[in-house]
Amino acid sequence: MNLSLPPILVLLVFPGGLFLIASGLIYQWADRKLVARFQNRIGPRFIQPLADTLKLLAKEEITPVGVHKGLFFALPVIALAAALTAGLYVPLSGFRPAASFRGDLIIALYALSVLTLTMGLAGANTISRFSLVGATRTLTQLFSYEAPFLLSLLGPAIAAGTWQISEINTYAGQNLWLIIAQPIGFLVALIGLMGKLELPPFDAPEAETEIVAGAMTEYSGRGFALFRLGKDVELIIGLTLVSAFYLGGLGNPLEFVLKTLALLLVLALLQTAFARLRIDQTVGLWWRAGALLAVVQLIAIVLGRNLGTIF
Amino acid sequence: MASTIGALGAAEAVLKPFATAINRPQPERLEVNIHPDNLLAAVRALVDESWGYLSAIVGLDRPAQLAAEGMSQPESAIDVLYLFCSGAAVVTLRITLSYSQAVIPTISGIAPTAMLYEWELREMFGVEVVGLRVTGHLILADDWPAGVYPLRKSFTGFNQPVAGAEGA
Amino acid sequence: MTADTNKFVIPIGPQHPALKEPANFEFWVDGEIVTGASVRLGYVHRGIEKGAEARTWTQNLYLMERICGICSHVHATAYTLGVEKLAGVEVPPRANAIRQLMAELERIHSHMLWLGVAAHEGGFDTLFMYSWRDRETVMDLLEKISGNKVHYSANLLGGVKFDITPELAAEVHKGLDFLEERNRFYLKVVTTDETFIGRTRDIGTMTTEKAEFLGAIGPTARASGVARDIRVDAPYLTYDQFPVKVMTHTSGDLHGRFIVRIHETFESIRVIREILDHIPQGDLTTRVPRRIPAGEAVSRVEAPRGELLYFIASNGSEKPERVKVRTPSLCNWSTVLSLAIGLKLADMPMLLSGIDPCFSCNDRSIRLKRGQQDPQVWSWEKLRQYGIEYYR
Repeated sequence: MNLSLPPILVLLVFPGGLFLIASGLIYQWADRKLVARFQNRIGPRFIQPLADTLKLLAKEEITPVGVHKGLFFALPVIALAAALTAGLYVPLSGFRPAASFRGDLIIALYALSVLTLTMGLAGANTISRFSLVGATRTLTQLFSYEAPFLLSLLGPAIAAGTWQISEINTYAGQNLWLIIAQPIGFLVALIGLMGKLELPPFDAPEAETEIVAGAMTEYSGRGFALFRLGKDVELIIGLTLVSAFYLGGLGNPLEFVLKTLALLLVLALLQTAFARLRIDQTVGLWWRAGALLAVVQLIAIVLGRNLGTIF
Repeated sequence: MASTIGALGAAEAVLKPFATAINRPQPERLEVNIHPDNLLAAVRALVDESWGYLSAIVGLDRPAQLAAEGMSQPESAIDVLYLFCSGAAVVTLRITLSYSQAVIPTISGIAPTAMLYEWELREMFGVEVVGLRVTGHLILADDWPAGVYPLRKSFTGFNQPVAGAEGA
Repeated sequence: MTADTNKFVIPIGPQHPALKEPANFEFWVDGEIVTGASVRLGYVHRGIEKGAEARTWTQNLYLMERICGICSHVHATAYTLGVEKLAGVEVPPRANAIRQLMAELERIHSHMLWLGVAAHEGGFDTLFMYSWRDRETVMDLLEKISGNKVHYSANLLGGVKFDITPELAAEVHKGLDFLEERNRFYLKVVTTDETFIGRTRDIGTMTTEKAEFLGAIGPTARASGVARDIRVDAPYLTYDQFPVKVMTHTSGDLHGRFIVRIHETFESIRVIREILDHIPQGDLTTRVPRRIPAGEAVSRVEAPRGELLYFIASNGSEKPERVKVRTPSLCNWSTVLSLAIGLKLADMPMLLSGIDPCFSCNDRSIRLKRGQQDPQVWSWEKLRQYGIEYYR
């Protein structure tokens, strides 16, 4: 499906800006509600994520002692901007991406990493001990899941023969669902997404029983709200990418909603099923199992393609 | 019950050399009064014998009654009770310290669990524990006035007349 | 226990999401590895031991019950046992059996509470939510028996207030069946879930010798193979008539502490059923004099967290001379401080909760009363005015 809108609307309303933020909030609610129901709790009301965000935006912003003021204010803005930028390249709600060029997969993933990086920097910027430990853990985790996650998204790219997200999406829609063709890649991508979003059991960087809120401990008002929005946007982009690549592409809004929600259901289930991993366990898991599996999948794809051309 | 009596008998044999008085207030209890100088040796003897474990240290303030006219005023005292338990048997080492000589050696070198109990005893009763390495407060507030020991009978709260039994 | 200023110190508490009650721990870390630890208690010291000296024997029963919200019955039991010993009163067997029944129900409630807290500290919120949901069952049973979910107030000096009718017994049986089934499930989760085992196995391992040396008690010690349980070593109430087995484990790590506590829950369920089926007939109370004869008594009971010791001295009046409470949490602190070194920071919350600490157990002392002129004490009006000025 295609949709042509004036560029300013594309940036501010759809699919960038408002739409992304609104759907990010809705998916945050869905995630929280699902986790709550799995845990036998009632969970938040539909309006809760919006209320949280508005409340945070209205709150007094406290600048802690010992931070670099400019960075302290700039980092949340960069974080949200990076996440929103990534949103321009993915087939949100099943429409063609707002912007598209060869190799935009790398850009989108890079923009998402910038979000994590700013959170790490934000933690390291303060003198709070919880923040410092949280920042170390955030960055450690970034280095552990990033490579396997990237490899797992390269699988579909190689299969499609292009590094352009919209074309991979089209390819995935026309061929056998890649979750069947590349099951290992899907698994790594799914777990990688959880690591990227710092969802349980990979929530060591913000383990509240150890280091309060991790890198975010010193953020209170607007800065915290922006970081949270950035995370919500990251959630929806991650869901879109994985379902576009592995769940047979996203051709229309209905497909988008069904496939991303199905994926979210699996994510929520995984979140509730495990105890939190220590950061050393996370790193060990990724480098021992995650990276290895992703490489195996990649070799299988490359072999498959080459053998295919020979015969 | 037989094993309890046996255990008490064994403890009595171990502690006899240090005792100034021995009595059995209840069937499962043995109470041995000892002099403060003998405390370390007595505890060491019990530990060497592997007799039970240190269960608690209890402070007991016994302020002197006002003496009758013409009599010399007796000095107030603090009893320190070391409770050792083994099965159902309880052995009490009782040390009586006068207010002016409220000093005991630490037994935390022999029984490490004693550290917290001795710390509490020092805070609450003002018994100086020689050799206890910890400083500062364990449970009282940081700005608690020095020289005020809340579990002494003379402490009845701040800004209140000292007389009367109603505490803070 | 002073912290080295050159170390990177992570403070946990007095206010921290890992602590439901205030205490302060300082962990000195090198990266993620803990190199030292210290503790500061007393944030909720309430002066109960001092307060007891100003109250009558009966009033103190209610005061002692309020030392701890989780093991309220066991505190009251230890106190009444001590006072009854001093008074030379023989309590009717039916009353003692009901006391034991309440104590074991309380143990189930406490162990399930602990299971949830410990799981939460390890980031396993699902287990936390489930175990707390099911804990409601045992709290409902306690409410049906006594009318209260937390402070059951079952004890009197010389007996108990509540009887177990056959209808109640049937309800308790029903609740126990459910609890047993649920706890079998939790045992399965604890022993088979890979991530959970990864967080608990070989963490904070304490050998039997070390446990004895550090003076560990209760389930913490039993998980290290120290077979010490007052219910068996020095049977009180009707524990000789309805005996329990000591549950021990040899691993000595956090995992062992989970297994021991869940097994103890099963044992409690078994013994409660036995009491319900063979409860002795007779009166519920006997008379206890208002003035207790002079003397000193030691009473020891097995609280859910370990040995609880009361030392009670009477001077023959209506009020006690001294009530000393030695709570189990205090004994286990030294194990935490010594086991922490060398572990990861992420293990600290679980290690802390592994001994099932109860801060209200520890802190029992003083309430401050200051004069009106004290510049640190503000009246409500002054505080309100300050708030208005501040935001103007």
